[in-house]
Amino acid sequence: MARVNSPKELEGLRQQILSERDPNKPCIAICAGIGCLACGAAKVVTVFKQEVEKQGLKLDVDIKETGCPGFCERGPIVVIYPEEICYLQVQPEDVPEIISQTIKEKKVIDRLLYIDPTTGEKSTYESEIPFYKNQHRLLIGQNIKIDPRSIDDYIALGGYKALAKALCAMTPEQVMEEVDKANLRGRGGGGFPAGAKWKTTRDAPGEPKYVIVNADEGDPGAFMDRSLLEGNPHSVIEGLVIGAYAIGSHEGFVYVRQEYPLAVENINIAIKQAGEYGLLGKNILGSGFDFVIDVHRGAGAFVSGESSALMTAIEGRVGEPRPKYIRTAVSGVWDKPSNLNNVETWANVPLIIDRGADWFRSIGTEGSKGTKIFSLVGKVNNTGLVEVPMGVTLRSIIYDIGGGIPGGKKFKAVQTGGPSGGMIPEQYLDASVDFDELTKLDSMMGSGGMIVMDEDTCVVDVARYFIDFLCDESCGKCVPCREGLKHMREILNDIVGGRGKQGDIELLEGLSRVMKKASLCALGQTAPNPVLTTINYFRDEYEAHIEEKRCPALVCKELISYHIDPDKCKACMICGRECPVSAISGGKGLIHIIDQEKCTRCGTCFDVCPTRFRAVKKISGEPVPAPVPEAERVLVRGNK
Amino acid sequence: MGDITLTINDAPVTGQDGMTILEVARENGVDIPTMCYLKELSPIGACRLCVVEVEGSRNLVGSCHTPITEGMVIQTHSPRVVTARRMVVELMMANHPDNCLVCDAANQCELRQVAADLDVGLPSFKLKKHYYPIEDISPYLVRDLGKCILCQRCIRACDEIAKQKVFNLAYRGFDCKVIVDLDQPVDKEVCRDCDVCVSVCPTVALRKPKKQGEEKKGPPLILSQ
Repeated sequence: MARVNSPKELEGLRQQILSERDPNKPCIAICAGIGCLACGAAKVVTVFKQEVEKQGLKLDVDIKETGCPGFCERGPIVVIYPEEICYLQVQPEDVPEIISQTIKEKKVIDRLLYIDPTTGEKSTYESEIPFYKNQHRLLIGQNIKIDPRSIDDYIALGGYKALAKALCAMTPEQVMEEVDKANLRGRGGGGFPAGAKWKTTRDAPGEPKYVIVNADEGDPGAFMDRSLLEGNPHSVIEGLVIGAYAIGSHEGFVYVRQEYPLAVENINIAIKQAGEYGLLGKNILGSGFDFVIDVHRGAGAFVSGESSALMTAIEGRVGEPRPKYIRTAVSGVWDKPSNLNNVETWANVPLIIDRGADWFRSIGTEGSKGTKIFSLVGKVNNTGLVEVPMGVTLRSIIYDIGGGIPGGKKFKAVQTGGPSGGMIPEQYLDASVDFDELTKLDSMMGSGGMIVMDEDTCVVDVARYFIDFLCDESCGKCVPCREGLKHMREILNDIVGGRGKQGDIELLEGLSRVMKKASLCALGQTAPNPVLTTINYFRDEYEAHIEEKRCPALVCKELISYHIDPDKCKACMICGRECPVSAISGGKGLIHIIDQEKCTRCGTCFDVCPTRFRAVKKISGEPVPAPVPEAERVLVRGNK
Repeated sequence: MGDITLTINDAPVTGQDGMTILEVARENGVDIPTMCYLKELSPIGACRLCVVEVEGSRNLVGSCHTPITEGMVIQTHSPRVVTARRMVVELMMANHPDNCLVCDAANQCELRQVAADLDVGLPSFKLKKHYYPIEDISPYLVRDLGKCILCQRCIRACDEIAKQKVFNLAYRGFDCKVIVDLDQPVDKEVCRDCDVCVSVCPTVALRKPKKQGEEKKGPPLILSQ
């Protein structure tokens, strides 16, 4: 590859790439993001390649493995260019048909299109699908057009243009001013203005200065940063170089979790390719600015996402937070000024430089500008990545984009901000999503995890799950977090196990307050949020567990029993056969009875009882009805 | 090195640039309890016992590691602070053997002193203790990790004073413990007889070996604070 030595040469390269590409040549873009790969996208890609060859189209069709466009619920996703026809849930057996029908004869295959479950309307193009229609995809919108392993794809779409503009047409101060003016706030959760942080690092004494990408995404169910790094790594690199230029740094780190092998691979390839074009290294684009990037793989600790812990880990020590009486922006890696921002924050920087701060400020709310990616998961119809402007309501994300709750169930709560966030109940569904609003509801923006829960979810059990997670992930340095979480887990285990006692709620509240105020780092300070918000909004459920030994959502194993309704049981013997501990007695024509002593409450009988009978019932907080007397057990069939 | 004026518990005090809240408070006769802090060692802010309230700060701050700034307004014994301190000691006690009656540290135990000073009483939590075997194969050092409260004084003393780095932390969360090598019992090979760690341990999780029938000589060594 030839080195690019000036913005003019970059533009020349772009024109050259575009001229070599025929815009009318069919291109099959297959999402090779992690969600689609899990649904079998790798097989689909192979079959596409074989089939194209078999049908003699090898030279006439491009096949591209792209990043994640977000609609993970319906993977593997295939988009056919130039028409931009979007096919969902494509299986290897659909491939020959797609080639012969869509590619050769330009016919759309109806059954692979998105069909609206309520209206039955078909959507041929991505932009027509309600999931995408209500989004504003500045960052992940390009993922499906780009092969993350090809820098040419990124450059063809105008990539590195912002870098050229920043390096050659702007001074570092102007870049800083633009980002400051755009009011870009940290997407990692804290929402600290990036401009102010950059300024602190720039003004801090000491050389060298470092810039760091925090890709240690650890929240359960969150994969925003992952898909950006896997799907469009060059946007992150471009942002990082621009930031480094503004700050005056010449060395950067990408701290990425080892659990993200594809992200590690793609960012390494991207760094190598950018280096070959001279977009990294010495004298970038002839501007005289030097910058190199090192990829540091994290060893799998949630706490390493905390800035000071992450920097300790980069130094090669155990990832433990330190007291931040001096900000890491002033004294970070090896006590040098270090500016750390989240993947998504960096990816926003090229957009701001390219299109200007005023454009960026036009999106979002008064205090929070731009868009935010959320990973919408849990009990919602359309799970996947969602990018919306700041300020949309939770209701719009869950219902308009997410398509509501499956199975006609009722919404109960949404957990925002991962394990350190809080649960937001139905009455606040119309709250707008921005940094300050969510904090007011005792939750937080976090890095963008959004877990939807329906009425079948027990909030105490969910709080216990999150505390359990944090308990394992606490580094163990400070007492409130190390010991406090352990006791919190113990108390919650007791409550869901039916051993809760009077005073437990107050003890949890007291412990939470101390942990919030006295812990060393943000992990301990935010850890009690799931407990505090659930106590706040669902206190009655805690009381039901403790006082009545009843789980209102019928989830907590120790508090429920299974019972077969004698009026509904048709003695079909299915549950009896499936019961793993043979706790169900009964035979043909004999009403089944569960032996409560033997029953392990695994719920198999409940699941297998045919829906037309629904004879197995979950009960909680009340005694199990006495079994039918032997004499009445014989089932009299109506028509015999 | 200029003078910095600040307010501690409504009284104006002055300190030098670079001093921590704790240092200024102690100089002015305000007693803030500490556990992981020792003036000979670098502060790490792990025990959270020395937290104080600083006006304008969202959370309580550790006084042992926070430098003073001009015009700081500090409360060292407000109800919020005392509640937090009590809870911290209570949490430590819930994970500490309650055999004080026969413990070598006796009244020299700093945890016991702090618990008594703060009037902690019996913990309201279920006791959750670690049971580690006593390591007594070294001729220089006996370790009873059941008594360890993870103040990391031994780690820092060994590193900063003895320049040895015998100890380190391993594992996460509640399983966190001070280890030697790759979690081996401490023996002759790794440790020389310098006693620095023994003298700084607040709870006698580290002590010198005793021979059966040997007379106990005085209280254990503890560096004066």
